[in-house]
Amino acid sequence: MKLMDRLAALKLVVVTGKGGVGKSTLAAALGLALARRGRRTLLLEIDPRESLYQLLDVPPTGGQFERAFEGLYVQNLSPRAVLDQVVRERIHVELLSKRLLSSPIYEHFVEAAPGLKEVAVLGHALRVIRGLAAGQAPEVDLVVLDAPATGHGVSMLAAPGLVAEVIHDGPFGQMGGELAAFISDREQCGILLATAAEEMPVQEAIELIDSLADRLSRRPEAVVVNALYPEPPAGDRHAEADRTLDLWIRRRRVNDRELDRLAGAWQGPRVELPLMRLDRGVELAQTLSHALQDALEAQTSWN
Amino acid sequence: MELNLERHRLVVVVGSGGVGKTTLAASLALMAARRGRDTLVMTFDPSLRLKDALGIGEEARDREVRVDADTPGSLHGSLLDAKQTFDRLVLRYAPDGAASERILHNRFYEHLAGNLTGILEYMAVERLYEVAAEQRYDTVVLDTPPTRQALDFLEAPERIVSFLDSGAIKLALRPWFDEQGHLRVASWLGFMGRHVESFFDRVVGLGLLRDMAEFFQAFGPLYDGFRERALEVQELLRSTETAFVLVSGPGPEQIPDTMFFARRLLEAGYQLGPVAVNRVHPRFEPPAATAAEDPTWAEARRLFHWLGERDHLGLAELGSLLPGRPLLPIELRPEAPTDLASLEALGSGLVGVDGLVKH
Repeated sequence: MKLMDRLAALKLVVVTGKGGVGKSTLAAALGLALARRGRRTLLLEIDPRESLYQLLDVPPTGGQFERAFEGLYVQNLSPRAVLDQVVRERIHVELLSKRLLSSPIYEHFVEAAPGLKEVAVLGHALRVIRGLAAGQAPEVDLVVLDAPATGHGVSMLAAPGLVAEVIHDGPFGQMGGELAAFISDREQCGILLATAAEEMPVQEAIELIDSLADRLSRRPEAVVVNALYPEPPAGDRHAEADRTLDLWIRRRRVNDRELDRLAGAWQGPRVELPLMRLDRGVELAQTLSHALQDALEAQTSWN
Repeated sequence: MELNLERHRLVVVVGSGGVGKTTLAASLALMAARRGRDTLVMTFDPSLRLKDALGIGEEARDREVRVDADTPGSLHGSLLDAKQTFDRLVLRYAPDGAASERILHNRFYEHLAGNLTGILEYMAVERLYEVAAEQRYDTVVLDTPPTRQALDFLEAPERIVSFLDSGAIKLALRPWFDEQGHLRVASWLGFMGRHVESFFDRVVGLGLLRDMAEFFQAFGPLYDGFRERALEVQELLRSTETAFVLVSGPGPEQIPDTMFFARRLLEAGYQLGPVAVNRVHPRFEPPAATAAEDPTWAEARRLFHWLGERDHLGLAELGSLLPGRPLLPIELRPEAPTDLASLEALGSGLVGVDGLVKH
């Protein structure tokens, strides 16, 4: 099955990767490609400081659903705000919930309880997919989640299982169990790993692939390598006399070496995206989304 | 404010993930050792090659390891790993073996330590405290965690103190459950008490709450120590002997993150020093139109020209947003430094009249 078809058939695509490798840009590009294909998509960002909106030329979402294009919505969530909302929904007495939410017990203990915030956020994504979310939630077929930078990305996906293990009943325990099942269901949830062809990002990508296998028995649908320098034409020798060309050849050599290293650890589908002469913004996201779509349609999924 | 190795005993390197902080921290430490200062670099997330270059392996997780650098001052390196340090902390400060066993085998502890967020920052604080208290080094260069919220690390001491001073910990130290197995916080919340218990049971689960209670109570004897050390680290970070070096990526898109760090540091009263802008593409002459040239070469020239212009535009913008502050561009090298020689080369570029470090 073509990789693009495979991704389009999912309900949740989690885009993960190290900070600084263009993960958010990739998430936006994927959202645009899926929307173009007719899948109504919600792009979800988890970050107290939102920035995804800049890639889609919409105002900051402030936690609301913002329509970016036909069939594409974007929303930023602060995990703490979602958790607080779950509490408010469970404690119907407003006075009590206000006191609880501002109490030291809640502040320090509930915050400290591992996994609750992640479960709250993933629970929200699931509710949107199922058409059960409160507020003016749009109807969506699929959620693309711009996950927190590496390490946290895997922790986020592992959180529901953890919570289900520690808390057996109650809304969080149940949510945890349901989400853990959803995440391990290959027909519903897939992971896309963003990286760059540089030493640290590739090292992190390899570690993340191992971590996904260990903790979740999952592997990514594809690894997307961003911001590659163009390939120099073969057999050119006048580079030494030309500063530009010398830097280009050496930078590309690093890219090649790191691509090889990645290939040694990952034999699954790989997408390569070039460095573009575009500033971070909607034009970059659109251009990348076409390149991404072409690449995804040319490759076969191995999951 | 310039970096002055005579005055600054602690140099904290901050910035977003992926900008090259750890390498720069290692470079700065090497330059300090080159100048005769006995130096320690504490790193968070070094690449395998950097670890090789410094000769730092797994043993550095727990103690400082000497780097074979052939410098007038000694150079040591250490790695910060939250889980191991936390275990070691418990073993060191718990009043007896039984107490440490209770903590280390507490179900909540295992999950908490496994989760790592917040713990990593706190452990770095403890490690820093130890190093500062021992006073074995003239200069300590502290790398910070590679997250977008890297300042969480600096705020860890404050959060610890506020947690320990809050009502929460007093509650934790009292017996949480009475003889009937009911939560005692009932009395604290008056008539709403039963609702609270029911809330916790329904939402979090009383089982987890019991584990948490046991965990916090087992730590009881350690709190005063934590609090004391956290306060000392807070003071240390704000001292005039501590300088912060902010590392930024190149280009205008990095500016919001960099300005965020700069503002937060200044608001919090830290000594913000130079801002290093790393991996700046060099400027190239605008491409000359030659019919003979291969179109791929021409396109590459346009790309590199664009990259150089973009990065220098970013520098100019950042300079205008931080007037009067030393801004140090570090040119992009084809490869990140991977041995002492290349670290030294990077470091020597940081020193000089316009550079980062005052002689």
